[in-house]
Amino acid sequence: MSDPTSDLLPEGLEDRLPQSAAAAARIERDAMAVMGAHGFDRVRPPLIEFEKSMATRTDGLMTRHMFRFVDPRSLRTLALRSDITAQVGRIAATGLSDAPRPLRLCYAGQVVRIAGDQLEPRRENLQIGAELIGSDSAAAAGEMVELAITALEAAGATGISVDFTLPDLVDTLAAETFPLAEEKRDAVRRELDAKDAGGLTDAGGEAYIPLLFATGPFDDALEKLRAIDAGGALSSRLEGLQQIADRVRGRARLTLDPSERHGFEYQSWFGFTIFADGVRGAVGRGGTYLIGGTGEPATGFSLYPEELVEAVKAQESLGNKLFLPLGHDRSAATRLRGQGWRTVEALSDADDAAALGCSHLLDGGEAKPV
Amino acid sequence: MSETANRLLTFAVPKGRILDEALPVMARAGVVPESAFHDKADRSLSFACEAADMRIIRVRAFDVATFVAFGAAQVGIVGSDVIEEFNYSELYAPVDLDIGHCRLSVAEPAEGNPAPLGNASHLRVATKYPNITSRHFERQGVQAECVKLNGAMELAPSLGLAGRIVDLVSTGRTLQQNGLVEKERIMDISARLIVNRVALKTDPRVAALVERFRANAVKDAA
Repeated sequence: MSDPTSDLLPEGLEDRLPQSAAAAARIERDAMAVMGAHGFDRVRPPLIEFEKSMATRTDGLMTRHMFRFVDPRSLRTLALRSDITAQVGRIAATGLSDAPRPLRLCYAGQVVRIAGDQLEPRRENLQIGAELIGSDSAAAAGEMVELAITALEAAGATGISVDFTLPDLVDTLAAETFPLAEEKRDAVRRELDAKDAGGLTDAGGEAYIPLLFATGPFDDALEKLRAIDAGGALSSRLEGLQQIADRVRGRARLTLDPSERHGFEYQSWFGFTIFADGVRGAVGRGGTYLIGGTGEPATGFSLYPEELVEAVKAQESLGNKLFLPLGHDRSAATRLRGQGWRTVEALSDADDAAALGCSHLLDGGEAKPV
Repeated sequence: MSETANRLLTFAVPKGRILDEALPVMARAGVVPESAFHDKADRSLSFACEAADMRIIRVRAFDVATFVAFGAAQVGIVGSDVIEEFNYSELYAPVDLDIGHCRLSVAEPAEGNPAPLGNASHLRVATKYPNITSRHFERQGVQAECVKLNGAMELAPSLGLAGRIVDLVSTGRTLQQNGLVEKERIMDISARLIVNRVALKTDPRVAALVERFRANAVKDAA
């Protein structure tokens, strides 16, 4: 007797069947085409690398969230990638260290993590992204935010909304403006993150409470943040934000949340999160960072379109199929394929056009509706 | 974004302890449920609101956090104990509503615990809050084995289920009646307005609602 549980997929993993596979493949293709058109060259790093190398390239990337095992050849620990950004950083620091800067690279591939959580049980994700290596200026950030929006639009996302943040805000302010002991910073960051005014006071961060109010539509929030920044410690960052926002104004709804840090483990002065209609959670994020080991500045973003695939897959067209009966005109079939038809060839008399999902039938050298 | 404007905002409130105190606070922010909400015989779980673009759902406190974290409800009211227990990354708690005050504490039998904490690296605790409890004991270098109960924690020590309990305490009367004493306070609790992270960033109505609750809270504090 067969065991019904033996073919279950592990939790957080799924097969993409034709309809959703088509949507996922199209989204990847369209987004990559946009990046290619903007001068980003594609790289394809391997699925598995030495754990140590992944850990050094991006500060804060937790290798304990990766599948790890011992390499029988080198006896060193290997890790399955959970973020391609770290791999692109390695490429920029090694194989392409002599390439002229700024270096523009893009990538797409599957990433996995060892455990999902209740909110996001998915353990495998498609990651599509681009990295601009050699600069973390406001000009670079503006280019990357606009590219991310354009790539998502091409992939079919609507109602795009971009939320800006300043990932190193607490450290910058703690140095002078609102002095804060090193050991209290984590607690203050955590409460700011949860936007918990009560918790923030308990953690000794009363001075940081105004930051909770400096969030919302970009222009208003920036105004409030300017008012908080009496000492001027943030002025270059605020200028940068303004410049980026001016570049993408009108392309997306813009908001500012200076103390946001979800998913910004290794970003430096600037970070952004992208949302789209019909997609629960963020559809992508990016920002400026330093490549570990070399300290080279870079700006990049990653899109995680799995939920977007879920949102659009029902409308995805697989294209019309044309049934080729036994003994059909093969040159006509070739000609019609050239025109974009997808053909389905009969293997025996028992094959039925409609049952095989064909809308048309090759008859007398022409496609006729079934 | 026209799509979000047409959708109903869902406001989740907890059954029980906090609700009576929360209703006036909600009313001042303009969130007033239809009269059926107060009808004890009404078995519905979802209620219309005076504002046409909002509905109120009444669920268990722990479920308020889950509904809001998943974005099934955009806004809710729940105790900080629940927020801390789940530690959901998608939850914001922007306003301390200053209601529903109590504390989460460790309690032990009054006649002394047969297994004092000092010489144990492992102990068993009955609680509704396994995450907070194990984090609390981890900080003391103790691995706590939590027995998850959904109520009547106070029975656990006398029946030998667990040596101690971690539970909400307000007056301490329930503990006393069951022969327990409060040993250690883990955290102070008050009710918070919670919102879904993505909803706050993408739906202007959510931000406006937070602003109304916050303005009232500031007025009260002054």
